[in-house]
Amino acid sequence: MDSKTLMYILKRIVLAVVTIWAVITITFFVMKAVPGDPFASEKAVTPAARAALEAKYGLDKPIFEQYLNYLTGALHFDFGPSLKLRGRDVTAIIFDGMKTSARLGLTALVIATVTGIILGAVAALRRNSIIDKIIMVLTTAFVSMPSFIMGTLLLILFAIHLKVLPANGATEGGLILPVITLSLYPMAYITRLTRSSMLDVLGQDYIRTAKAKGVSERNIIIKHALKNSLIPVITYFGPELAYIVTGSLVVEQIFAVPGVGRYFVSSITGRDYPLIMGTTIVLASLIVVMNLLSDIMYKIVDPRINLE
Amino acid sequence: MSVLSDLSRRNFLKAFGAVSATATLAACGGAPAQTEPSASEASASASASVSEASASESSAAAAPAAGTIAVCLASEPDVIDPALNSSVDGATMIVHLFSGLSKWEKQGEAFVIVPDCAEELPEGETDADGKITYTYTLRDGLKWSDGKDLTANDFVFSWNRAASAELGADYGYMFENVDGYEAISEMKETGQTDEDGEPIMEPANPDAKLNIEAVDDKTFKVVLSTDVPYWNELLAFPTFFPVREDVVSDEAWCTDPSTYISNGAYKMTGWDHNSVITVEKNENYYDADSITMDKVEFYLSDDANNMLSNFENGSWQLIDDVPTNEIASLKEKYPNEFVVAGQIGTYYVGWNVNEEILPAGTTLEGVEAENARAEIRRAIGLLYDRNYIVEEIGQAGQVPASSFASMGLTEPDGSEFYKNAGDNDGYDGYYDVSAEATESNYNEAVETLKKYYTFDEGTQMFTDFPTLTYLYNTSESHKAIGEYLASAMAQVGITMNLENQEWNTFLNTRKAGDYSVARNGWLCDYNDPISMLDMWITSSGNNDCQFGKGAHASVAAYSCDLTDLGYDLKVENGTWAETYDQIIATIKSESDNEKRFALMHKAEDLLMSTGAICPLYFYTDLYMINEGVKGFFSIPLGYKFFHYTTFEG
Repeated sequence: MDSKTLMYILKRIVLAVVTIWAVITITFFVMKAVPGDPFASEKAVTPAARAALEAKYGLDKPIFEQYLNYLTGALHFDFGPSLKLRGRDVTAIIFDGMKTSARLGLTALVIATVTGIILGAVAALRRNSIIDKIIMVLTTAFVSMPSFIMGTLLLILFAIHLKVLPANGATEGGLILPVITLSLYPMAYITRLTRSSMLDVLGQDYIRTAKAKGVSERNIIIKHALKNSLIPVITYFGPELAYIVTGSLVVEQIFAVPGVGRYFVSSITGRDYPLIMGTTIVLASLIVVMNLLSDIMYKIVDPRINLE
Repeated sequence: MSVLSDLSRRNFLKAFGAVSATATLAACGGAPAQTEPSASEASASASASVSEASASESSAAAAPAAGTIAVCLASEPDVIDPALNSSVDGATMIVHLFSGLSKWEKQGEAFVIVPDCAEELPEGETDADGKITYTYTLRDGLKWSDGKDLTANDFVFSWNRAASAELGADYGYMFENVDGYEAISEMKETGQTDEDGEPIMEPANPDAKLNIEAVDDKTFKVVLSTDVPYWNELLAFPTFFPVREDVVSDEAWCTDPSTYISNGAYKMTGWDHNSVITVEKNENYYDADSITMDKVEFYLSDDANNMLSNFENGSWQLIDDVPTNEIASLKEKYPNEFVVAGQIGTYYVGWNVNEEILPAGTTLEGVEAENARAEIRRAIGLLYDRNYIVEEIGQAGQVPASSFASMGLTEPDGSEFYKNAGDNDGYDGYYDVSAEATESNYNEAVETLKKYYTFDEGTQMFTDFPTLTYLYNTSESHKAIGEYLASAMAQVGITMNLENQEWNTFLNTRKAGDYSVARNGWLCDYNDPISMLDMWITSSGNNDCQFGKGAHASVAAYSCDLTDLGYDLKVENGTWAETYDQIIATIKSESDNEKRFALMHKAEDLLMSTGAICPLYFYTDLYMINEGVKGFFSIPLGYKFFHYTTFEG
């Protein structure tokens, strides 16, 4: 890697940190500006209890002081205790949920990418054959169908009628249906992307040259065609990840997967300030980092691309 | 405590809230008649102490059989600490894990309170100051799940902890009748002011304790400032359960099975966060032999569709929520497994009493104006067809309500409180909610409104009623009800716009009185009408209608006369503080139960005369249970008991 690329990466990292700081600051003040508070409930706590709780969690301090305290804590990776889930730290809650969410998300990501590329390549190489047509019809269906419908259909079919897979994401084998649901859309998208990009590449002069030189078909496909047709797929990596992260919120709900997704909403309705911050920071960092990685990979695959 | 949750998980608190709301409506379905009687019997016998013998007989009824049952009540409770819990589903887990001085049991069709850790539930002794002392003897050989001995000191520690401001428990106020609680809840100014210029308050007596004592290891003494007839029932409420000092010193104790030490019929053996909590029989429980179910798996999910899937494929034997739009078909498909149980709570519309509803340019003022507003609000309450609401919108067996104090609350003689409410014969409560009366109610309402507003005979509409806004928390079911209410009013030319707010914001807005009309609901925590009536005193944190607050503080339009019951209180055209607050204070200091109930009827009469509370229906609790499960029961507070169940799939 040349020094220019390194400089670029460094710059991007600094920018990423600034982005995350901005996310923290905006979220913090917007969150505090929203009416309501973590101790509100239909049956009111006594004023004495409320005062004690506010003092305990530092909510009685001026808002700017609270903000500085939070930033200091966050710098040391201390995201504080949850205000609602008494006795649990935000870090532990998120880590706990992340174990499952990451397993679900990463598996879906890998399956979607690998199957998508293979199916796309097959469809392109067997263009207009019956296989190509089947793949195109199916991917069109998967791309158009929202995950909550797909998830529900799979649930009814495999968990209720056939009873071969559990409906509950927390039980053994429970992640199979959620992974399938989550990966279908990006898989279909990648298939179509790979197919069109591959068709484009296969028509290029250098492929014809390679053929004329007698390079085996296998080598042409893997070394020349596939590698070059993956560039659009890599650009899709960022959006794909974003889809998987947000899509898993829905999928986790449908299959009752014990992931981190539910906290994104429940922390806000409960005004669990530290948990709102924690989930937001994690999500923001994930997307910032993944975008960065995707850009770097982009450069590696195609050195001609000018990152500046 | 008395409620049930249709909202199953849901907090008592949240009960009506966002999530739960849906459930609620959704929830109630089928056959309330079947469950109501047991609810009332329950309470009837609840206050009487029951001998141990009869208690164990009933529990031994089911043949012991090994087994596991998998159930799903709701998503993961925020916290499963008996003192801090505020959800019905959390309470269900806690009654399995912990054991208090008393507990609920089903005998025949009735739910009764029987001694648990205490050998018996004695009557209190009143001393010269009017304070009441209860002395409990603990059973021999009580142990914690780790084998250590449980002593009276554990109760002293736990109660002081639960009542303390420092812990900040939602249900800390449940100790309000215990001597010493007043000092704990007292506030003083710190001398500083917050950003809005309001004085910052802090607890006045941070070291205050309850007047309770461990006379010796086995004797626990409690002094009450005023006796309450539901005292024995409170002892079975999770807030009153014991925890051990060395266990709870780390706040994280109740988040992991390895540190979760309890004293009940079950101990926690597994907890995958957001997935499942497993409890298994606790061999150290004194009555372990009568517990028939070895293991209960509480699955954690709040998605009604997912619950139903797991119920239908046989994975779960009980689910506490079902999808709203499936209710009708489920009732048909699973006639024996779809259950609608009684629940003590009321869904109602609340008016902000400070909202001006008289037409612009009215000449009425003072008492006359306030009486006119009350009459108008009552009239509007008559425009609604409650049968339509429960049958077409709720669809879950809710019962049309004609009073605020809910169905299921019972009088000392066991009769339903709401049936004795109001002074009209021929129907229960304050107006006739039968389907036949819909039209006459409607006509009566129109006639009343004609006294105050301009009525256009051609269009049959009022032309000068101020525009109202109905505030509700975001939920399909609340919205559907709001739309119906608005349409009923639109028929006579009254415009009511709908505004929804997210749950927490909604709570805030409603509490601050920043609304004109809002949806509201209340689930009781114990079977006594005071648990619904005392929320309307001026200083109550739940006084969403703003009685006695703001401009209403100086409205002198209320009258009360307690002289017929032998009290020295007769007020004509007094303020809310001089009337309603005084009646409630009198009720709280009265230990004669007959008189208390007479007073509570008077309080409700005054409350309902304002028209600010417009009850729509009484809640019900809906759940599905596998036919193979025997020995299960749930009480009108919504707690579900799996102790004595057996399951054959």
